[in-house]
Amino acid sequence: MHIKNKTGFCNEKNFSDFFLDHSKLLNNYIFYKCGNFELAGDIVQEAFLKFWENCQKVIPGKGKSYLFTIANNLFLNEYSKNKVVLNFRKIPVKNYTNESPEFLMEEKEFSAKLQNALGNLSEAQRIAFLMNRIDGKKYKEIAEILGITVKAVEKRIHNALLNLRKEIDNI
Amino acid sequence: MKTMEQNYFLSKWLNHEITEEELKNHLSSEEITAYKKIISATNQLEIPEFNAEQGLEKIKLKRNKPKGGKLYIINSFFKVAAVLAIIVVSYYFISNKEENYSTQFAEKISFDLPDNSNVHLNADSEITFKPKNWKNNKILNLKGEAYFSVFKGAKFTVNTALGTVTVLGTKFNVIVRENYFEVNCYEGIVSTNYQKQTIKVPAGSSFKVLNSASKLEQITETNPSWIENSSSFKSMPFKYVVQEIERQYNITVVYDTKNAESLFTGNFTHTNLDTALQAISIPLNLKYNKISDKKVRLQ
Repeated sequence: MHIKNKTGFCNEKNFSDFFLDHSKLLNNYIFYKCGNFELAGDIVQEAFLKFWENCQKVIPGKGKSYLFTIANNLFLNEYSKNKVVLNFRKIPVKNYTNESPEFLMEEKEFSAKLQNALGNLSEAQRIAFLMNRIDGKKYKEIAEILGITVKAVEKRIHNALLNLRKEIDNI
Repeated sequence: MKTMEQNYFLSKWLNHEITEEELKNHLSSEEITAYKKIISATNQLEIPEFNAEQGLEKIKLKRNKPKGGKLYIINSFFKVAAVLAIIVVSYYFISNKEENYSTQFAEKISFDLPDNSNVHLNADSEITFKPKNWKNNKILNLKGEAYFSVFKGAKFTVNTALGTVTVLGTKFNVIVRENYFEVNCYEGIVSTNYQKQTIKVPAGSSFKVLNSASKLEQITETNPSWIENSSSFKSMPFKYVVQEIERQYNITVVYDTKNAESLFTGNFTHTNLDTALQAISIPLNLKYNKISDKKVRLQ
């Protein structure tokens, strides 16, 4: 049992590394679900605490999917499904300074439309799409985290784009 | 296969698995421009920065002590310690487990001690001892009245609230009732400790303490009368006689308290209430009547 403790997630160092590697993605994952950054932070804390309590039970290599499962359950327990309002901030991009004010205005409007459209996507589509776009995760990694096939991830992202365009064109 | 790939061409294109040229098989250039704009705008989205370092500090604080890490090593130690503690404690309890024999009103029992000595327990009495540790600790605690027929060579001690009796292969009777202590020895010899005094009570003797006044007197019986279903008294305050008849028949006796200290000599049977009531009322010139099944008046 001692050997397992030294090598597994119960080891202080391993746990810290695991936290630093995955907490941000977990935070964003919950944020994509609910659009509430504070709630996401709370769930990250709770999920890792629970993970730590159960560190001995975690099968090596399954840590990440176990973590996301915990977080998902916590989220379902705590969050009644309100309409998601994602609250993104637009990155101030430097080369925009040379653009015309009209262009900047248009960009701003478009961004607002996009945020609205993202909020109207299904949760599954939004998570897959934003994990890829914002967190830069490969389809394979997203599939692993969500416990689905790569094909299913492709389908979700494909449909996310179709829906976004439909939504934005309609406005 | 081709249809499958066509289904998700947007994903394939996003993942650089197909080129923009190939995408043109599925979409107009206008559509492609729209998608490009969406993707570009999405890439510029930013969500509040998550501070992992800060989160880790917070979680270390919350996690503070009990579960995990180094403590698991201590936990294993505690597991062993806990098991040992349970063994020690349960051994202690088993070896100290008291056996308890007690009688209600109108009840007498007889039982053997671990060394085959025999005990008769009179009504409303109680004996406790520790059978597991009997060899090293031959001590009985007695409340009420008991007759001991001790196996030859066995030595033990009877503890009572009023005094202790140490014996060596004898037959003896001990009574411990409210302010009354009596040790009758029928065979061998017993040693009684009463108020730091040691009194030897040889066979055929009775040591009595009534209201702190003690005396040693001769007896002729070979065993206590109650063993043969009768109670006998010699110059005993009447209240003890009444208490005894109450114990033997599980009744309540109402009587004039002026008679409580009158001395009574005689006996009554345990087998017939009327006979017994006559036996105790006549010497004091009293009459008895039964108020109910459980209640008798003497006047």
